[in-house]
Amino acid sequence: MAALGTSPSTLTDAADVIALLVLLSEFAMLRSSLSRSQVRLYGFQSLCVSVLAGFVAATQHIGELYGLMGLSFVLKVIVVPMVILRLVREVRVDVTASHRLGVATMVLLAIVLSVFGVFVVGRLPVHSHSLPILALGLAAAVILVAFLLVIVRNDVVSQAIGFFSLENGVSVASLVLAAGLPLIVEVAFLFDLLVAVVVFGLLMRVHQGRSRTLSTRALDRLRG
Amino acid sequence: MTGVELDPVEIQVLQDLTILVFAPFVSGAIAHLGARLQGRRGPRVLQPYYDIAKLFRKETLVPEEASWVFLAGPVVAFACYLTVPLLIPVLTQYPLPLGYMGDILGGGFILSLAGFAVALAALESGDPYAQLGSSRAMTFGALIQPSILFVTFTVALVTATDLPYFEAAAVRSSLGQAIAPAHLLAAVAFFLVVLSDTGRIPVETHASTLEFGMIDEARTFEHSGPALALLKWGAAMKQLILYVILINVFAAPWGEAGSRQVGAVLLAIPAFIGKALGVGVIFAVIDNSFSKLRLFKITEFMAVAFLLAVLAVLVLFLGAR
Amino acid sequence: MGAILVAILVAPFVVSLACLKVPLVVAKALSLVSGAASFGLAVALVPSHEVTTALSGWLRVDALSVVFLVAVTFLYAATAVFAVGYIQPGGGAAEVRYSRRFFAGLNLFAWAMAMTPIVNGLALLWVAVEVTTVVSALLVAIGDTDGAAEAAWKYVLIASMGLGIALLATMFMYYAGSTVLGGSYELFYSRLLGAAPRFPPEIVRLSFGLAVLGFGTKMGLVPVHTWLPDAHSEAPTPVSALLSGALLTVSFYAILRFYQVTVRAIGPAFPRDVLLVFGLASLVLAALYLASQRDLKRLLGYSSIEHMGILAIGMSFSAPIAIVGVLLHVLAHAAAKSTAFFGAGNVIRKFGTKDMDRIQGAVGALPLSGPMFLLAILALSAMPPFGIFRSEFLIVEGGLSTRATALSAVLIVLVTLAFFGLSWYASQTLLTPTSDSVAPGEVSPWMAGSMVLGLLALVVLGVHPPAQLSGLLERAAAELGARR
Repeated sequence: MAALGTSPSTLTDAADVIALLVLLSEFAMLRSSLSRSQVRLYGFQSLCVSVLAGFVAATQHIGELYGLMGLSFVLKVIVVPMVILRLVREVRVDVTASHRLGVATMVLLAIVLSVFGVFVVGRLPVHSHSLPILALGLAAAVILVAFLLVIVRNDVVSQAIGFFSLENGVSVASLVLAAGLPLIVEVAFLFDLLVAVVVFGLLMRVHQGRSRTLSTRALDRLRG
Repeated sequence: MTGVELDPVEIQVLQDLTILVFAPFVSGAIAHLGARLQGRRGPRVLQPYYDIAKLFRKETLVPEEASWVFLAGPVVAFACYLTVPLLIPVLTQYPLPLGYMGDILGGGFILSLAGFAVALAALESGDPYAQLGSSRAMTFGALIQPSILFVTFTVALVTATDLPYFEAAAVRSSLGQAIAPAHLLAAVAFFLVVLSDTGRIPVETHASTLEFGMIDEARTFEHSGPALALLKWGAAMKQLILYVILINVFAAPWGEAGSRQVGAVLLAIPAFIGKALGVGVIFAVIDNSFSKLRLFKITEFMAVAFLLAVLAVLVLFLGAR
Repeated sequence: MGAILVAILVAPFVVSLACLKVPLVVAKALSLVSGAASFGLAVALVPSHEVTTALSGWLRVDALSVVFLVAVTFLYAATAVFAVGYIQPGGGAAEVRYSRRFFAGLNLFAWAMAMTPIVNGLALLWVAVEVTTVVSALLVAIGDTDGAAEAAWKYVLIASMGLGIALLATMFMYYAGSTVLGGSYELFYSRLLGAAPRFPPEIVRLSFGLAVLGFGTKMGLVPVHTWLPDAHSEAPTPVSALLSGALLTVSFYAILRFYQVTVRAIGPAFPRDVLLVFGLASLVLAALYLASQRDLKRLLGYSSIEHMGILAIGMSFSAPIAIVGVLLHVLAHAAAKSTAFFGAGNVIRKFGTKDMDRIQGAVGALPLSGPMFLLAILALSAMPPFGIFRSEFLIVEGGLSTRATALSAVLIVLVTLAFFGLSWYASQTLLTPTSDSVAPGEVSPWMAGSMVLGLLALVVLGVHPPAQLSGLLERAAAELGARR
C-alpha cells in the first residue's frame, strides 16, 4: 500500500500517465463508431508510445532508442494513419464502423479483460529499470482489448487498427521488458511491421475492390 | 497569535450554513453564465432565492391519492442534505468532531437516502412523468454506484482510510500526489459522477421542459408551495455538496482554514465559493459544448466513469509493488 | 559450410527478384534450379556433426535446423516442379503478370521459410516467421477471387495477431535472459540455452505458453486454427502445398526453439502439459471435421491440423524415441501432404472443380497422378510402407515407453477416425467409375512428375531411412533435451 509521503518520483508518474493514455485510447478505439476517428486515435496512441520510447531513451541513456522513436513516430503516427485515412476517404461508403455488441457491454468486457491482464502481470516477478511495472500491466490490457476490438468489430478498418494497436501494446511491453534489445533486432521488428502494414493495405484494397465495402459481413462464405 | 478561536462545533454549524445559504447562489450563477454563453441575458444570479421565497409563500396542493409520504419526502431529503456537510471538509483542512462520524460511503448513503425519499414522494403523486423520472433516476443512480465505489476504493488505498479529510491531506502533501495517475483517474471519474448526479449534459438537460428526456427534474412535477421550495433548495445543496467533495477532496484542496482562527475560517468561505464558481464555469461550458446523450446511450457514459475508476484501482494495485 | 547457409539465404531471394523481369520459361528454369540447388545444399548439411555458423553468428544451423531445412527445401524443389506445369504459358498481359508475380512470390515464400531455421536467435526467428506470413498472405490472395480475398484477409489478420502474441513471448524470454545475461544481449540460441537453468521460472512459463499460442496460430493448432482450412482451399495449389508442408512445420520449429529453452529452464512437465492440451484439441477437432468436408483442398487442410496435433502430442510424450518420431513425422508429413496437394491439383485441374460431389472416378481419368494421389492419401493415413507409418509408430512407442498408455490409445483411436474420414472421401472421388464425358489422360507431365518425388521420399523414409538421416534425427532429438 502506498502510504502517505512515499510518493514515487514525478517522472515515473508521468510515464504512468502516458501509458494510461495508451490504454484509454485503446478503449476509445473500441467504442468509437467512426472509422476516421478510430484511425486518428491510433495515431494518438502511437504518439504516446513514441513519447514513452523517448522517455526510456532519455532516462536510461540508450541512444539507439531515439532512432527507434523517430522511426516509429514517422511510421505509426504519420504514414500508417495517412494511408488508412486515404483508403477510407476513397471508399466513401459505410465509414461508420460496426459493433456486434452494445458499447456499454463492450466496455465492461474490456474492463474485465484489463483487470485480468493487470492481475496476471501483478503476479509476475518482473523488475524493470526502464519503466514502472504498471506500464507492463497496461500493455497487457491494451493487447487484450485489441483482441476484443478485432473480435467485436466487423469492418476491415477496425480489424486492421486492432492489429496495429496490438502491436503498440507489444511495443510498450517491450519497452518495459527489453529496453536494451539490440538495435538490429528492433529495426527488424519495425521493418516487419512496415511490411505488414503494406500487406494489410493491399488486402484492404483488394477487399474493397471486390465487395465495394469495408464491412466484413460479406466474408462468411468460407466455413466448416 | 491573536484573534478569537472558534469552537469546533461552531465551525461545524458554519459549514452547514455555508452550504445552506450559498447553494442557490451557485446554482443561479451557473444558470446565469450558461445563458450568457448562449447569448441570452439569462436570469438574475439571485433568482433562485426569489423563487424559493415565492414558493414558501404559496399554498401546498396534495394529490387526492397521495399519503403523508408525499409531503415527508422533501423534508427528509432536505434534512439529509443538511447532514452531509457535517462529514466533509467544506471550510477546514482538519477534521471536525463529527467528521469521523461517516466516511465517503456514509456520505454517499445519506445522499442516496435523500434521492430515495424524493423518488418515493414522486411515486406517491401518481403522476406518470414523475414516476418515469424517479424510476430513471433510481436506475441511473444504481448504474453510477459502481464508479462511486471504486473511487472510494482508490481513496481508501491511497490513504488507508476512506475519510475525505485524509484524501485531501494526501493531495496537499505533495504535488506528486496530486498528479499521481491513480488520483487523476479517480478525480476525473468523480467529475463524471458529479456530472451525472447533478443532472448535467450529457446525461440530462438541466433546464429543459421536455418531459421525455427528463430524469431528476421530472420528479418534482406534482409538488408545490413550500414542499417544492424544499426540493429545489435541496437540489441546489446537493449540487454544492458534490462540488465540495470534488474540489476539497480531489481537485483543489487548497484555501481552507488550517486553524480555528475566526479570520481564517471566515476567509475560507469566499475562497470556497470562488472555487465552486470556478467549477460551475466548467460545468456551464460543458453544458453548452456537448449535446445530451440519448437515454439508452447514458450507460456508455456510466461505463466510461466506471472504466476510469477501475483503472485507478488497478494503477494502485501495480503501483504498490 | 558457412557458405552453404549464405547460398541458401541468397539464391531464392535473387531468383525471386529475377522472376519479375525475365520471360516465363526462364523464370520456371530458375525456380527449378534454385529449388533443386537449395535441397542439395540442405542435404549436404545432413552429415555434419557440428554446428555451422555464418555471418558473424547471425546464421546458425544445428541438427534441429537441418531437419526443418531439409523439409522446406525439399518442398521448394517439388513445388517448383509442380508449378512449372501448373502455370501455363501464353495468354494475355494479365496472365503474364500473374505468372511473373506467382513465381516471384513462390521463390520469396520459399526463401522466407528456408531462412526461418537458418537464422540464429529467437528475435530473428520471429522476424522470419512474420515475413513468411506476409509473403504467403499475398500468395493466398493472388488468385483475386472473392474466396481468395476472404481467405487472405482472415489469414493475415489471425496470423498477425498470433504473431503479435509470439512477439510478446519473445520479449518475455528476452527479459528472462536479461536477468542472467545483463541488460543488452543478442537472443542467440547458444547463449540462451547456456543460461536457461537460471531463468526465473514464472517468466519462462508465461513465455512458453504465449509462444505456443502465438506460433501455434500459424501452425494451425486448435483453437487458433480457424484461418487454415480457408487459406489452404483458396490458395493456388502449389501455395497450398507449401503452406501445409512447410509453413506449418516451420512454425512448429519456432515452438520447438522455445521448447528447447523452456525444458532447460523449468523441466519438461509444463511444456508437456501445454502441448498436450493443444495437440489433443487439434486431433479431436480435425478428426471430426474430416468426416464432413465437401471441398477437396479443405479436406487436406483439416488433415494438416490433424498432423500438427500429432506433432504436438508427440512432443508432449518427451521420450527420446517419440521426439525422433516427431522429427521424422515433420519430414514425412511434408512429403506426403505436398504429394496429396499436388494430386488434388491434378484432379481439380482435370475436373475444373474443388467440389468432391462433382468429382467422380479420378483414378480412371488420371492414369498416373490418380493412383499416386490415392497412395499419398494412404500415406497420410499412416499406411505402411510409407514414412508416416514409421513416424507415428515411433511416437506411439515413445508414448508407451513413458507409460502414457491411455494417451497413446487415444492417439491411435483418433488417428484411425481421421483415417476413415480421409479415405472415405478419397475413395468417393477417386475409385468411383469414371464418366464417359471425361477423357482419360494427364493434365501435365510436370504436375504428375512432381508427385513421384514425394512418394519416393515417403518410401525411403518408411522402408529404410539412410543412416545419415537417422543420425541427424537422433542428434536433433538430443538437442531438444530428450533424456537418454
